[in-house]
Amino acid sequence: MTEHSLWRFSRALHRAINERRFEDIEALIDDNVDWAVYGPIDMFPFLGARRGREAVIEVIRQIAENVRVHRFDRETIMLGVDSASSMLRYSLTALDSNKPISLRIAHFAQFRDGKLLSIRVLVDTFDLVEQALGRPINLPRLVSFA
Amino acid sequence: MVEPLNRQRVLNFLDVFYSHDIEGALACCTDDVEFVANAPIDIMPHMGHRRGKAAMREMWSTIYARYSNMRYDLANIVTEGDTVAVNLRAFFRKRGNDRTVQFDIAVFYTFRGGRIAEIREIIDTFDLVQQVLERDVAADLAGTGPGKT
Repeated sequence: MTEHSLWRFSRALHRAINERRFEDIEALIDDNVDWAVYGPIDMFPFLGARRGREAVIEVIRQIAENVRVHRFDRETIMLGVDSASSMLRYSLTALDSNKPISLRIAHFAQFRDGKLLSIRVLVDTFDLVEQALGRPINLPRLVSFA
Repeated sequence: MVEPLNRQRVLNFLDVFYSHDIEGALACCTDDVEFVANAPIDIMPHMGHRRGKAAMREMWSTIYARYSNMRYDLANIVTEGDTVAVNLRAFFRKRGNDRTVQFDIAVFYTFRGGRIAEIREIIDTFDLVQQVLERDVAADLAGTGPGKT
């Protein structure tokens, strides 16, 4: 039984982020990959959309320069023939401040011939910003019909 | 194969929910349905964690009261066993000023006995809060928002 593409990709991604070894992940990304991590790109330039393997490798390098992965737990995982979706909880460290960051994310990935063809990642970004700032963001409570 | 059935159940639920049919949406759920959404509940107190139909009715009534028109584009749907995951772009039009809030959302539905027993959402909440409050929070934090020099 062949291993699902998600597992190879996941191992290679974490090796790239934590060990800055990019040779494995390069081989697992389609030339025309469509990549998007939704979030405030003004605050976190490594979020946002990228197209093509070169751009995606570059953004993975940027992620590796900003965070280290300590742990991740898959709360839900669903595997199709060439697709995968998971909900995960990540424990990270922001390398510039050495702050711990705990994140919940969801992803939807498509593979072709064992390579990543597209991925969409949703992040609880308000929580991410508050943790990166190290303080709550004070905003008005929504009580009227906005 | 239960997957095609659950896939269709989710599509039916989405159509009912987005057409403001609250009782129709609740009929798709178990009595003890559990809802978990990441959200800054001090800003959006109607979100967060809910359990049971009465709590869901209250939450969805609040949403329907705030938004006159709701629609969605389905970007992705994945089904395995009792779980269905969808990636949507949602469009909610505010009753107050007719402006439309649009946001991306991942929703994981878990079925029990043909009904939705659990709904778990992950949303790009920073973007959502900015649109709901109509405020550039990123600029506020950077000190470049209105009134800042």
